[in-house]
Amino acid sequence: MDASLDLLLNAVISGLLLGGFYAAVSIGVAISFGMLDIVNIAHPGFILLGSYVAYFANTVLGMDPILAAVIALPAFYALGALVYQIYYIAFERRQDQSLGGLSFFFGLLFITEVGLVLIFGVDYRLVQARYIGPSLNLGWVELPLRLFVPFLVSMVMVVGLQLFLSRSFLGRAIEAVAQDQLALRLMAANPTRIKRVAFGLSFATAAIAGAILIIIQPVEPSIGREYIGRVFAICVLGGLGSFSGMVIAAVTLGVVESLTATFFGPSWAPAVSFGVLLVTLAVRPSGILGR
Amino acid sequence: MASSLTLANVDAGYGAVRVLEDVSLTVGAGETVALLGTNGNGKSTLMKSIMGIVRPSAGRITATIDDATHELVGRSTEEIVDLGIAFVPEGRRLFPKQTVTENLLLGAYRPTARSAIARNLDFCFETFPRLKERARQLAGSMSGGEQQMLALARALMSSPRILLIDEPSVGLAPLLVSRTIDKIKELKEGFNLTVLMAEQNFTQAVRIADRGYVIVHGRIAFEGESAEALNNNELIREFYLGA
Ligand SMILES: Nc1ncnc2c1ncn2[C@@H]1O[C@H](COP(=O)(O)OP(=O)(O)O)[C@@H](O)[C@H]1O
Ligand SMILES: [Mg+2]
Repeated sequence: MDASLDLLLNAVISGLLLGGFYAAVSIGVAISFGMLDIVNIAHPGFILLGSYVAYFANTVLGMDPILAAVIALPAFYALGALVYQIYYIAFERRQDQSLGGLSFFFGLLFITEVGLVLIFGVDYRLVQARYIGPSLNLGWVELPLRLFVPFLVSMVMVVGLQLFLSRSFLGRAIEAVAQDQLALRLMAANPTRIKRVAFGLSFATAAIAGAILIIIQPVEPSIGREYIGRVFAICVLGGLGSFSGMVIAAVTLGVVESLTATFFGPSWAPAVSFGVLLVTLAVRPSGILGR
Repeated sequence: MASSLTLANVDAGYGAVRVLEDVSLTVGAGETVALLGTNGNGKSTLMKSIMGIVRPSAGRITATIDDATHELVGRSTEEIVDLGIAFVPEGRRLFPKQTVTENLLLGAYRPTARSAIARNLDFCFETFPRLKERARQLAGSMSGGEQQMLALARALMSSPRILLIDEPSVGLAPLLVSRTIDKIKELKEGFNLTVLMAEQNFTQAVRIADRGYVIVHGRIAFEGESAEALNNNELIREFYLGA
């Protein structure tokens, strides 16, 4: 096979896999920012918390990082519900979400990072698992399991949440809660409770995303910041409130970044991805699948 | 089983502004009662007081649902809806970014309504074939008449016993107004409901009402025991019929 075609193919494949990872990182923000209007800029910090939970369970207990994340889900959900309750009492109830809320989440990001530094230090940490290292050789393309397993886990999580949101009463109420809270009350639902559940779920996704992150690359406590811009870009690009749009945006960004890095060098990747964002929003202000 | 609604000496308003003064009103089991009054006289405030959106400063509001009586003042809106009282508010308050079907399914959020969801959905689609055609359309992109139908259908998805409707005719073309009013009668009979309907459109409301109240400046100015009594009332002649 032609060498450059081979290069192209491999760049596209690793871009797709990277996109799957971006979807896992973004889905929490797709819920909090896209569906609840909560500008949770601390989410990447919560993801790092997930990474270190996986790291701890992996190094101390020898547990698989993804299994550790699954076991940590209820605790993350509860922590998320608690964070929302504090946010609600301190800001939302007083109609002080925009600036007060932003500083609240900025503070949480800071506290999470400092906490992780104090406990784990600033060195890069990584995990061990059987799928870190080997590749699936499909003849014409190499599928590194280190990226492929996270891709699959991410897709299971996205599809699972999508089904929950579209098929359950609670899920449909979550999709509607930002549109009209009085109307939701008239459906016999309590909007604060709905938002608390949704924020708990959004926080829980950070456990999975964190485990995936530390499988893909070594982490240190402030690495989450690299993802803040990208994650919000993916949510806006996909269309707020739409999971399928978010996945398309995540995969597009993954492929574009991977191609750019392969053919023009990694330093161009962020510029190109934000270029894609600007062009899409100029053509479709509501995002790819925004309603 | 019987469901009815009673307001006794209710005062209510917004902050220091008092809107309702000493309002007493009943909607008997299976009745359709019209709450008549021109703009700004307190019809919506009265409905919001029943639904727990505005909290009365005095008086009692009680609802009897299937022979069990509940005090409504002090309960949250979602609790009141959960008792079996549905409300189609001013402005309809649909979820504009959700489809017709999603809006209807949200209407069935109330736990008691969930088991009846298939039957209620069939009934709504039968009564409003247009909603079935538009099932996958976003609510916000529909015409005013279609939105009013969806708002009514969504309220019924909660399997209510008592239905409150705030000005169903607002913003509709004259032909649609009479059709909507007819539909309300049809739904009332199909679901065996007790209905309180606020209206400015006297002629249309009286077509389906058993009785009615006229509200002026937040007070009940006249209570008509029948449609004829309403038709022949001085106040109504003055306000509505220009005589
Ligand atoms: N949210 C509010 N805050 C303050 N005053 C209000 C509010 N809503 C209505 N009012 C006042 O209450 C009075 C009755 O209004 P409303 O109940 O909406 O009447 P209607 O539904 O009969 O048109 C009006 O004078 C109106 O200005
Ligand atoms: Mg009104």
